[in-house]
Amino acid sequence: MEKVELLAPAGDLERLKFSLLYGADAVYCAGKVYGLRANANNFSLEEMEEGVTFAHRLGKKVYVTVNILFHDEETKGLDDYLKALDRIGIDAIIASDILVMKRVLELGVKFEVHVSTQASILNKEAALFYKTLGVTRIVLAREASLEDIKEIKKATGLEIECFVHGAMCTSFSGRCVLSNYCTNRDSNRGGCAQICRWMFSIDDVLEPFSMTPKDLNLIQYISRMIDAGVNSFKVEGRMRGIYYIATVILVYRRVFDLILTNNLRDCDVQYYLGVLNRVANRESTAQFIEHLPGKEEQYFLGREEVSNQDFLGLVLSYDEESRMATIEERNYFQLGDVVQFFGPSIETFSYQVQEIFDENGEPLEVANHPKMIIKLKVNTKLHPYDMMRIKVFDKPNLL
Amino acid sequence: MLVEEKMKTNNFLVVVTDLEFLDLNVNSSIHFLFPVLGYSVGFPKTFSFAEIKVPHSYLYINRILENESIETLKKKLMSCSNENIVGICFSDLGVYQIVKELGLNFQLFYMQNHSTTNVHSINYYLEYVDSVLVSTDITREEIDAILHHASKPLIVPFFALVDAMYSRRKLLSNFQEEFELEKKCEEVLHESISQNEFRAIENEYGTILYANKYIDYRNIIHPNILYYYINPLGLDKKTLLKVIQGEEILEICDSGFLDRKTYYRLKEGEGWKK
Repeated sequence: MEKVELLAPAGDLERLKFSLLYGADAVYCAGKVYGLRANANNFSLEEMEEGVTFAHRLGKKVYVTVNILFHDEETKGLDDYLKALDRIGIDAIIASDILVMKRVLELGVKFEVHVSTQASILNKEAALFYKTLGVTRIVLAREASLEDIKEIKKATGLEIECFVHGAMCTSFSGRCVLSNYCTNRDSNRGGCAQICRWMFSIDDVLEPFSMTPKDLNLIQYISRMIDAGVNSFKVEGRMRGIYYIATVILVYRRVFDLILTNNLRDCDVQYYLGVLNRVANRESTAQFIEHLPGKEEQYFLGREEVSNQDFLGLVLSYDEESRMATIEERNYFQLGDVVQFFGPSIETFSYQVQEIFDENGEPLEVANHPKMIIKLKVNTKLHPYDMMRIKVFDKPNLL
Repeated sequence: MLVEEKMKTNNFLVVVTDLEFLDLNVNSSIHFLFPVLGYSVGFPKTFSFAEIKVPHSYLYINRILENESIETLKKKLMSCSNENIVGICFSDLGVYQIVKELGLNFQLFYMQNHSTTNVHSINYYLEYVDSVLVSTDITREEIDAILHHASKPLIVPFFALVDAMYSRRKLLSNFQEEFELEKKCEEVLHESISQNEFRAIENEYGTILYANKYIDYRNIIHPNILYYYINPLGLDKKTLLKVIQGEEILEICDSGFLDRKTYYRLKEGEGWKK
């Protein structure tokens, strides 16, 4: 079996670290230019260098999106930017414009090129075309079926990357300029205003409706996707917060590890599905992997987008002698609440809050100020970057 | 140069959206693009290879193709003996790949409207194909610069409904099923905030949303133009003739992004600094 990679979003340096610490094998991020999240924080070259050093120290990789469709005015700094990325030592770029692929070949830079999902590749012949341009990996269109994945892998031998989790476009990625028409913001240069989530009407027909797809969630298909030849499993969400990223990446990490050791049970899948659904703010489905999505895979009328307040605190440090955890509070909790701690190097466990102390050791009844520093006595060893959340599900017993 | 003069010196590529248009072929400057049965999306009428009876015609394959479709297309092209078909206009690069693999002698025109937005990319595509359709997502100045620097003559929009979105989903069917409405393959969608309208056309391969005003680029004149592209979807023959003859049809058209520069950064002034 080829190596399987869990690929996570990194909207900034903090999220890069959380993604990698929570189990991603690689992250994708963007610099201040040429990425399709033009209005996210993104990375300065200095931050990117720090991120690459952090990742490489863990034996992990960093891919940089250079995936806009260029207008002439953007092309001027491209060569310098590609050379700068090369100096930093990134592992690959993700590109959709043929210009970028050709310039990489001509400049002789060391990093690899992955073809972005923006190129909408659904067949082996298109993948073979890009192979002639020296690319090493194809990020397939989210519309790819298991059968298409299998055939493309077999015919091309290229690395195959697929989105497995997160938001979907209504259109093929790269084939929508609704944003340009409705807001003048160019979707193919990072300005997408997500018009497909707006409301539309048809004369004389009902009330306005949307075309919004539900989110993608392929947790139940991971084994079959590995068998089909997928090398990299990508989670969408460079704009998401650290709790979402930590939760989703840890779930996929655990599922991968169970699959790779032949230990995944149905009860595990159901548990992890529950955790993923809890952290999401929209419903999710498997979308195109087995059949063409129908009306059940999208929203038509006003949908409820739930604001998740499960994230209670971030562990900053743990004193083994006193068993005292120092925690940065994120959402309200109080004495008596049953919570869970989870993290990349601990088994998720439940904990009832019996005492809360402030920074100076004074007792509190509630933790009710976001980012306030509190202390809890926890017998199980915790680590910085571990998280505390509302207890929602019981984890299945270990084998 | 007047449009009449342009007609004498330039060729038009007209998508066949109405069979009556075929009479226009008596004017040898007009060549037709036939949306192809099974391989095109966004057109109410598609054609089998055998139905293409006009000399010097082009196949219009605008779908993103999955493996099964590209395989069947390969077989059809291999056995195609229709000498009226001289070329293929396509947006999926897999089509280029199979034509080259098979060693077929079709003219190839790359027509992925959203990816031909700068001259460098266009010149790279021109290493593989005979011509490229210049994007409608860019301004007049950008088009002029592209025409000036392109390594081969290009195809330029002339008058057309332009696709604003292509979805694999059957968006109209899904909506009609959800609300138990009569099945229709074509609807006009209104977006109330921006006051835009989009014409949605669906077939079994997906849904195209066209901007509901025809773009009128008839004043673009340049020696490096191979073809002027016309997508007259929804027009009748009389109106199409007016279009070609350069008559004003203001109520149904606008200038698209010709004089309307798009942006993508909410905060100005950010950018790559060496």
